[in-house]
Amino acid sequence: MEQTAAFEDDRLNLALNRALTGDAQAFADLVREHQGMVFSIAYHFLQDRSLAEDLAQEVFLELFQSIDRIQSPAHLTYWLRRVTANRCIDQGRKKHRRREMALEEAPEPMVASAHADPMLLERLQQSLATLPERQRLVVIMRFQEGLGPAEIAEVLEMPVNTVKSTLHRSLADLRKGLTRKIREVRYAFF
Amino acid sequence: MHFSEDDLREALKRKDPGEGFTQRTMARVNQAKSKTKPVLARPEKKSNGAFMGWWMHRPAWAMAVVAVLLLAFGIAGYQYSEYRHAEEMRMARVKQQQLQQEAERARDQAIMALEIARAKMNHVLRHAQLQAEPNDKIRRERL
Repeated sequence: MEQTAAFEDDRLNLALNRALTGDAQAFADLVREHQGMVFSIAYHFLQDRSLAEDLAQEVFLELFQSIDRIQSPAHLTYWLRRVTANRCIDQGRKKHRRREMALEEAPEPMVASAHADPMLLERLQQSLATLPERQRLVVIMRFQEGLGPAEIAEVLEMPVNTVKSTLHRSLADLRKGLTRKIREVRYAFF
Repeated sequence: MHFSEDDLREALKRKDPGEGFTQRTMARVNQAKSKTKPVLARPEKKSNGAFMGWWMHRPAWAMAVVAVLLLAFGIAGYQYSEYRHAEEMRMARVKQQQLQQEAERARDQAIMALEIARAKMNHVLRHAQLQAEPNDKIRRERL
């Protein structure tokens, strides 16, 4: 397992060094490696597939322009998370929720694991969209990226204690929001 | 309805941007790359070769001009420093005069305040003496 990680790190290091010399194929490898992370942060934040793709492409374009500032694969991941988070906040401010969604833009049905309730997961995503921008990003960084409070604090430039309290408040808000949604559904039926 | 942290992890699982994302991104990168045109070499300025050559062949003249320029700059610098010094002195004098005037004003005000206080005290003393006089007469009569 450790060997695989070391091999992966070496591979990324090599790709990064080659990308620094202007190798387009190496840059494409870097994009391929990180596109899932960047796109998912944007998608979970914006809840709009086409906007998320556009934002992810802009992030990689910015990476291409400032690739000489990247020092290591770990720094690359950190840089991408940070830039994506900042762009998400900018994008969120620009558009005040253009909520039309074409059929092909609808989120792909999740590959639900054996125990997951697809309806619950969908409701969770909907509730997440109602959280304020910073709270949403903290939750995404914690549960999508699996970062600890200190790492989130570094990426989002917030004090660690603020991250902890924001996370706590976000989970409470999500629970509250979910309960309210269930009640609304009940009222609609009866 | 309750949810666990695992449910949240499941809901926020990484998603694949889909087929062709890398190609689309690279196309955009290449487009941006082609837009930033290489900086064209600037056409060389016409050099003033003849002008420079004239000076190169007359080093004494060049030295003289340099010396005159240095002297001019030196004199200008000295005059400027003198002017600055004189200006500072003038400002200091003006400030001192202002301070002196303020001090005189304060002294006049203090004297006036003492005058007023003295007049008031005299007035009060006179009143006190006038009130005390009849009582003294009565006391003397009783004795």
